[in-house]
Amino acid sequence: MTETKVHDVIMVGAGPAALAAAVYTTREDIETLLFERGVVGGLAAVTDMVDNYPGFPDGIEGLTLAENLRKQAERFGAVIELGEVTNIAKEGKLLKLETTSGDMLAKTVLIATGSDYKKIGVPGEQEYYARGVHYCATCDGAFYRDKRLVVVGGGNSAVQESLFLTRYATHIDLLVRSELRASEVLQHDLQKMVDAGKITVHLQTATNEIVGEDNHVVKVVGTDNASGKKIEFPADGVFVFVGLKPNTEFLKNSAIELDEIGLVKTNEDLETNITGVFAAGDVRSGSTMQIATATGEGATAALRIREYLEGHKQTS
Amino acid sequence: MVKNITIFTTNTCAYCAMVKKYLGAKGLPYDVVNLDEQPERQAEALALSGAMTVPITVVTKQDDTRQVVIGYNLAKLAPAVA
Repeated sequence: MTETKVHDVIMVGAGPAALAAAVYTTREDIETLLFERGVVGGLAAVTDMVDNYPGFPDGIEGLTLAENLRKQAERFGAVIELGEVTNIAKEGKLLKLETTSGDMLAKTVLIATGSDYKKIGVPGEQEYYARGVHYCATCDGAFYRDKRLVVVGGGNSAVQESLFLTRYATHIDLLVRSELRASEVLQHDLQKMVDAGKITVHLQTATNEIVGEDNHVVKVVGTDNASGKKIEFPADGVFVFVGLKPNTEFLKNSAIELDEIGLVKTNEDLETNITGVFAAGDVRSGSTMQIATATGEGATAALRIREYLEGHKQTS
Repeated sequence: MVKNITIFTTNTCAYCAMVKKYLGAKGLPYDVVNLDEQPERQAEALALSGAMTVPITVVTKQDDTRQVVIGYNLAKLAPAVA
């Protein structure tokens, strides 16, 4: 009879929170397995440039930061498995994870699945997905060399990725539903592109429809919120950055408590309502959705996991 | 059996790095077409996949049949290279 291996900690996700946690757990000799269904480094890895992560005075490319975090975690023995966790449940004193590699057992779990970009939910968005409608500028921007683009959103991601897309596009219309919410530094850089005629910012402008002809996008229809007037923006492609949604669908059949928008609830020790299950980073209710806070929460969670395992050892 | 694999990538594509990592872990060699360096091959990527995105992974089998995987999609990539 074969005995099922019991992992010290399984981390669901391999973004900045989990990778930082893994650096701490592995250095404490806590055997650590991470499951990643998407990209190692999470949304940080698909961000063109990260300018607000401490320690990099000139900023750092998101992909490079993600790669450095991965290397650091693997250097101390973290193992990253490419696959998906589909449920988490208590199994006696242990935790059972249903995964695409089969069921696994762990003493502790860290949920660090982060979040993904939201969709706008307008006609044409689904129909032209990956054929004119995109959510990753660093992946798909190269297809728009010398083309005209629309970017939807007014936060840091929308502005940062618009700036990135200027290396390809002839012109970008930035459609902002209300006011710009990007940082002052990004807005300053944006202004330079506005002055250069590369980007036009349309505040108080709703996005209503993405229109295509002959299998490709030709325009975006919006509304000026002040006048109620319809406006058409000619475009070969649309990039959408309108906020984040938590990656917690896999918890819908678990007993783990979520808040009203689907983020994982924790106490001040970052532990969920299920003993031994912790959460950190963008997926956690109360998170400030920054890479720096995700790594900080990852470190905190790792220390709490160590305490939990030490307590568990004494009582088992 | 896989005869050859070609990945269409760009310099900044994180998902492309994941496809390379997956194939590398399986010990499968692959060719890379970098669309930042060879923009003239964009039309080829689009014709193969119908999508304006990377990574596009083209898996050619020994019998010369081809399977095209759009994006970093393990559910499709794993059986395609099995």
